[in-house]
Amino acid sequence: MNKLLLGLAFAGLAAPPLSAKWKLLPETMPVAVAKSAMKVMPGQGWNSWSFRPGKKSELWSYDGPVLNQIEFIGGVVDGEPFAKERNKKDKPLPKFNSKMLPTDIAQAYEQTQRIVTRSPDFTIDSMEPVTFAAHPGVKFTFHFTRPDEELTRKGEARGAIIGGKLYMITYTAAALHYFDAHLAQAQAIMDSAKVD
Amino acid sequence: MAVPGLAQEKAAVKPGFSMPTGKPVRILVFRPDVKVGSQSAGGVVTPNAEWTANARKNLADALVAAKPGGASEVVFMTDLEGENATLLNEYRSLFKGVATTVLQHRLFKGDRLPTKVTGFEYTLGPGVAKLGELGGGDYGLFVVTNDAYGDSGRKALQIFGLLMAGATGFGGMVSSGVHAGYAGLIDLKTGDLVWLNADLKMGGDVREIDGASKRVSQLLEEFPGGTSGGVHFLPTTK
Repeated sequence: MNKLLLGLAFAGLAAPPLSAKWKLLPETMPVAVAKSAMKVMPGQGWNSWSFRPGKKSELWSYDGPVLNQIEFIGGVVDGEPFAKERNKKDKPLPKFNSKMLPTDIAQAYEQTQRIVTRSPDFTIDSMEPVTFAAHPGVKFTFHFTRPDEELTRKGEARGAIIGGKLYMITYTAAALHYFDAHLAQAQAIMDSAKVD
Repeated sequence: MAVPGLAQEKAAVKPGFSMPTGKPVRILVFRPDVKVGSQSAGGVVTPNAEWTANARKNLADALVAAKPGGASEVVFMTDLEGENATLLNEYRSLFKGVATTVLQHRLFKGDRLPTKVTGFEYTLGPGVAKLGELGGGDYGLFVVTNDAYGDSGRKALQIFGLLMAGATGFGGMVSSGVHAGYAGLIDLKTGDLVWLNADLKMGGDVREIDGASKRVSQLLEEFPGGTSGGVHFLPTTK
């Protein structure tokens, strides 16, 4: 076991391949995310991870993913889950349906995160309609803890169904200090989203 | 049995930081986060409440006796209740998250964050000053240890592995258990992490008084301004 695995073991995270690397993002140039039609303006200070949590997602972090992260979910089509299946047989993830209402997106995200993070207390705190990537969408906030951890994490998500596909951006961070520290920058990234 | 590649300990001090001199420094120690258990031949760890309680007391006593960094006073955080107890638990968890992050991105060479120049720009945030007010201290010391001692089955497997390796050239080394730990110092005014030391292969049987003392001296190696080497700056990396 090396230092990385020790760290991840303490954090309760699955180990990515050792070849996974962090890359610097350009501050003022729009970049395509999650290998999808969605583009955002990164702004200052974010790092992109070559390890992708799912085929249609991408992870950025400001201080490291244990403390804060932005996940992009791009171009999910009918019948696909919101995240990579961990245990398809016993704990299948909810599937996207392009007829979903905004409230359905939030509920499916909650059900997905309860399985993916094994969180016993994932809770959506607020929900409201917003314009996301120039389309009618949803914004919701949430909080949760992971099993065997007393660190509360808070999050804010925005998403919309565009051309029958799901596009989402979620910002998650430790509730103490880290969530507020980079919320405005995360919201600026969400505001900059465009889907061509 | 030590394995050279894994036996190194790693410590880092925030660049530019040194313990203030010329004025009394009071270090507030938070109750060590201690886990002690036994590990079976199959690697399963079973927590042991008696060992954990003994280790927690032994480590706490040794930390006070050590006077890290030449502190004029080392005090333990009093037992908190209600909202304050919850707040301390939250900050303890945040410290573990920050320590994990520094381990992963600064002390592990292959996983750098390009935006972090020193890999040590981490804080618990200024809100941690509340803990300083509650306990009274200039700096806060967090200690986390995790020990699992091999049971008789695991020890038999170790011997079997060594015998097999000697007799046939085959057979793997079975580790004697888990003995990992880390300690970190927080500036209780700013919340900034100013020092971190971590080791996967710690010595000292924390269930015993002498062993806990040895463990504490390892945890406090390269403590800023300490007597065991003084301020030590690791090369910063980009």
